[in-house]
Amino acid sequence: MHPVKLFCWHFMSYPYLPEDFDEKYESGWVTVPNSLWDREQAKGLYQEYIDQLVYADELGFDGMVLNEHHQNIYGLMPSPNMIAAALSQRTKNGKIVVLGNILPLQMNPLRVAEEYAMIDCMSGGRLIAGFAVGGGPEAFNYDVPSPQARRQFWEAIDLIVRTWTEDGPFEHEGPEYPLRYVNAWPRPEQTPHPPVWVPGARSRETMENAAKRGYSYFLSSRSHGDQTRKAAQAFAATMAKYDRTYSPFDFGILLSVYVSETDEQAKIESQEGIWYFLRNCLKGHLRTKGRTLTYGPGVPSASPDSWRGFLEQWQFGASQLGDTQDWEELDQRASIIVGSPETVRDKLLAVVERAQTGNLLIQFHFGNMKDELARKSMRLFAEQVAPALRAESADIFARDFPAMADTIEMEPAK
Amino acid sequence: MTTKSISVAGNSVWVEELGDGPPVLYLHGILDLHGIEAEPMAFHRHLAESCRVIAPAHPGCAETGEDETITTIDDVVFHYLRVMDALDLDTCVLAGSNIGGWIAAEIAVRHPERIEKLALIGPTGLFVSGHPIADIFWYAQPDDGVRYDGLRNLLFAGPRTEIGLSMIPDAKDEIDREMLKYKAFRFASLIGFRPPYLYNPKLHIRLDRYTGPAAILWGEHDSLVPRAHADTYSDRFPNSRLEVLPNCGNSLIVESPERTAELISSFIAN
Repeated sequence: MHPVKLFCWHFMSYPYLPEDFDEKYESGWVTVPNSLWDREQAKGLYQEYIDQLVYADELGFDGMVLNEHHQNIYGLMPSPNMIAAALSQRTKNGKIVVLGNILPLQMNPLRVAEEYAMIDCMSGGRLIAGFAVGGGPEAFNYDVPSPQARRQFWEAIDLIVRTWTEDGPFEHEGPEYPLRYVNAWPRPEQTPHPPVWVPGARSRETMENAAKRGYSYFLSSRSHGDQTRKAAQAFAATMAKYDRTYSPFDFGILLSVYVSETDEQAKIESQEGIWYFLRNCLKGHLRTKGRTLTYGPGVPSASPDSWRGFLEQWQFGASQLGDTQDWEELDQRASIIVGSPETVRDKLLAVVERAQTGNLLIQFHFGNMKDELARKSMRLFAEQVAPALRAESADIFARDFPAMADTIEMEPAK
Repeated sequence: MTTKSISVAGNSVWVEELGDGPPVLYLHGILDLHGIEAEPMAFHRHLAESCRVIAPAHPGCAETGEDETITTIDDVVFHYLRVMDALDLDTCVLAGSNIGGWIAAEIAVRHPERIEKLALIGPTGLFVSGHPIADIFWYAQPDDGVRYDGLRNLLFAGPRTEIGLSMIPDAKDEIDREMLKYKAFRFASLIGFRPPYLYNPKLHIRLDRYTGPAAILWGEHDSLVPRAHADTYSDRFPNSRLEVLPNCGNSLIVESPERTAELISSFIAN
């Protein structure tokens, strides 16, 4: 049985905000003034972040994860494909996971098919192709009406995968993206095409659409209580409808980790970066203070039925991850795991076992965290957490998924 | 007062009817019957004292089904031509508030022969250089998860008027009202979120196509649709008059329901 796969996710946040940012600005997204970008300090910032991802590859992570954001301080990758291209030349082993290109923001999905195929060829077939529909901030960033976005999204995915698998030229009828000549060069190196991952926030619609096409599901949540296990079970049940058998590798989650020698030391070293991340980077996204753009009547992408379900359980003004007050509360959210190698290992194993997920996508760099601290945490994780996680998760999967043993071992050796 | 569901091109359309007299097809806005209230409000009841008010809910609003083929204002115009046919409204008075006023204007410039009189209440719909319609979607996202001063400021005469606070409280409203509001914003988003924002760049050059009587009603303190839009509507409709109501923002029908209904009633009668 294959052990859990461990990925290093970098968001590439902007680390040079002024001290009074939280007092003065309602959001770190969309309207956060770009006059705050400090040209002098920011020199070499991308280099530092890319170097951290290269280090992850050297440390033996299963892959590096990138994603797309616009006009914000949370993630400085309007084009994750540019970073992916850089990684293709500087890393050797790990998968390059772009999670993902936000398709409704594209004028033409053909461009995504082309760029992903380039990355796959440039990296020797290491691309995992993620496609995202975008959330509230993206709707405002690029003026995408939310009700249309999902329709555009699935048509675009189907068109992209078709360009990779069907010989061109062919005509695509639309309706969203009618194209006379579809004939993408190059074609991806992997056959039939790079693995496709689709992030979702538990909506039935996204699970259905991913499951019936044979794609993997990534839960786009930062907190992992019972809902994470329920989401995995819901995706497993949805896959079963389409005669697919769930394996832990069909499902991924995002976690954040900081490891140091002791629990106390880990808190001391990570606190500046973590609280910068929670207070500033999540403001406008997963923080109630300020103006949250993530979901609501202004960005009504959810179907009315989904919105009713949300209304029934959500208290307006309720505290979210970014409103977390102290370490104890942070610990309860099972989102950012801070501690000694033993602490982190035990907590991650509990998540793996409970959620039955085989893909842990782990954020190591937070907000304005210093380079040497992020690297130290990654190194301690790789040396003192990952081996035990891999060994014990393989046992868990062998026990919980006996029927999968044969198929999973047929995956190419890493 | 009757409510019914009629079938239009295979989709159900929810229609509220009240009063007797000349038929008035009323197209609702966001803060309106079908937009946030399930039952006719004071404005609709006053208007129904002198006419037959026929108020369909827009696609996806209230109990009207969502229609995937509707993505532009043009689609909405065709939808309402079918609604008029289904209701046997060969000709009628056409009235609308907020986004409903925009839709009414779009119908009138295309089919002036079907419109006896046109009444627009704080309508969006126009492009006026230097005077953009404010971003209602941005302010539909509350401050600190729960405060709607920004949204109220766009829809009422100020951020914390009494009527504003009662219509849009700083709290989670009853779920049925929240749902109506969500659906109204979802419909508005469909036709007005991407550029052009809640307007049609060509509408202002087409206004001369409607030569019948037009009443333009505007709130003195409208922060959503600037006064320059009122002037453009009234200047370009050849046979129009503008009424500006004091102490009101964009939501005349809730901020001054009796006066607004009276002005429309007398416009229809004379």
